[in-house]
Amino acid sequence: MWGQLPYIAKLEKAGIPTVLIDLEDQHEMVKQEALAAGVPNIRYIPASRTIPGPEDVEEWIAPMLEMLTRPLTEKEKESGMYTPAQDRILFEGTLDEAQEFYQQTRIVPEPLNAPISVYTDGLPIIIPTEERVKEMLKGTSHKPEELITYQSDRGGRFDRSLNKGDVVRFQPRLFTATVEKVAVNAVMAGCKPEHLPAVLAIAESGVQTGTTVFNNQWMCLSGPYAKEVGMNAGLGMLGPGNPAGMAIGRAYQLMAINLGGAIPGINRMSSIGSPINRVGLAFAECADKLPPGWKGLNEEFGFKKDDSVILVMGTEGGLNGAQFSPGGYRALQKSGHGGMARKLGVKGIPGPHNWLDWILPDIWVGEREGGRIFIMVHEMAKHLYDIGYKSKGEVLEYIWKKSFEPLKKYRDRSWVDLTTNGWLGNEPQSGKPWKELPDDYMVPAGGDKPDSSCIIVCGSDEEICFEITGSVRGMWGSQPVYSIDAWR
Amino acid sequence: MAEKDQIYRCLNPVGIELPVKTSPLAPRLDTLDGKTVHFSITGEPDITIALDKRLKADYPNVNWTTKKSYTPMPVQLSEEEMKTTDAVILGVCW
Repeated sequence: MWGQLPYIAKLEKAGIPTVLIDLEDQHEMVKQEALAAGVPNIRYIPASRTIPGPEDVEEWIAPMLEMLTRPLTEKEKESGMYTPAQDRILFEGTLDEAQEFYQQTRIVPEPLNAPISVYTDGLPIIIPTEERVKEMLKGTSHKPEELITYQSDRGGRFDRSLNKGDVVRFQPRLFTATVEKVAVNAVMAGCKPEHLPAVLAIAESGVQTGTTVFNNQWMCLSGPYAKEVGMNAGLGMLGPGNPAGMAIGRAYQLMAINLGGAIPGINRMSSIGSPINRVGLAFAECADKLPPGWKGLNEEFGFKKDDSVILVMGTEGGLNGAQFSPGGYRALQKSGHGGMARKLGVKGIPGPHNWLDWILPDIWVGEREGGRIFIMVHEMAKHLYDIGYKSKGEVLEYIWKKSFEPLKKYRDRSWVDLTTNGWLGNEPQSGKPWKELPDDYMVPAGGDKPDSSCIIVCGSDEEICFEITGSVRGMWGSQPVYSIDAWR
Repeated sequence: MAEKDQIYRCLNPVGIELPVKTSPLAPRLDTLDGKTVHFSITGEPDITIALDKRLKADYPNVNWTTKKSYTPMPVQLSEEEMKTTDAVILGVCW
């Protein structure tokens, strides 16, 4: 909850009475975070999601203020230690009995009102017997009892910095985990021991799940490890069928459930959920087919070409792609035929042509502003190289410049009230206050900087560019690339 | 023993919940009149603008202070400000 509950706890502990206004469907999340912050009995009152503000306030302003003066109950005066029991062995029995046990569900009340699995994503799992977990742990040199900590300085997240050696607190319940706990989840996901370093690197991210927004959790592997474990970086890499990709992707979601304590309808409030998160999504970039001079994700984020890393993302927004009809893209590039050639004004002229002009700046129309992750096949990357873009950075600069639009138009977007903090601060490009800028001032809809966006090249041949809304340098997230090698 | 009847010890996948030292709530005020009450605004202007107006109009005997963020992250009181603040309302939490 973005630091609200720790702040409330700080005030209460300092002797300042507080009252919190929340939304009714988020009471359970408030209670969980209040407990984690050490003030389990905080007073809160719900506002409405639908009633207009003035009418809504009329309903609860008096009882809200009364919460600041009504004497404390005996329970509210209590102090002590909350020490939950946590057994290493969760179940003993046959494999069939264990499968039934791990498949247990709970009914989560409105607004969900359906059974939700307690320990799994709803599908059967590989039962994490002691023997299987011991075998899984052979995939890393780290000790089973070692706590998951940051392996490098991570930059800031919210109001705190995350430094090497700090214990990772898993979202949203702020649990911690050992290497063994991660291995248990890896077994459940169907991972093999050689997958464990990637799963541990994912664990280092804290496996966040977002709160009320449309949050997509996905991962892209970069470096030689991906090939070592058989990740698919070619045709269908975002789809099913590849054991390493499926298991590593699923491990994220199982860790979110078990290590993070994320429960739909309780503290994972994405309104309709995202299909990306249904089982989990991990894939690999195809560094072998990068155009000359273009760098892989590992080098882009400060690692070496032979370093193995994983980009762990929680992007908030839509998914778009498959813009090109079968043969439509090829007709443009081979001979300048078809609709794409007409739009670009190159009818009858063979390529290579800048196909980005066919999708820009329209990808920001009707969608949120900010960065995009462009997943494109190698042939399309090569066409960009052939027309002069000798690095990803040059392409990203071009994309970013195409995103500029008048401030008058930019103001009509939805997220901008939030990302500009109500237009209270300064516009990043000019450094001038937002409120002093004229309507025709040009603002980049593509994020504050060109590298708000990112390019991932894949190895398939059928021409497609897929865009995921979101930035690799988000406004509240820390640096999103984690070393796999650190967890070998 | 048939494999299907073998008994296995199965490990707990759930994260470690750290022990928490729990604290009582701060004593409540005997009255709001004459007190300094701070409204920490975190987004949802449809609600917070209306509430801010009502607080100031309906409770004129309270010394109201505010800090505003359009984001969910509150702008916190300084240590000095905390010394002169009697109560805090925070919202909307999301």
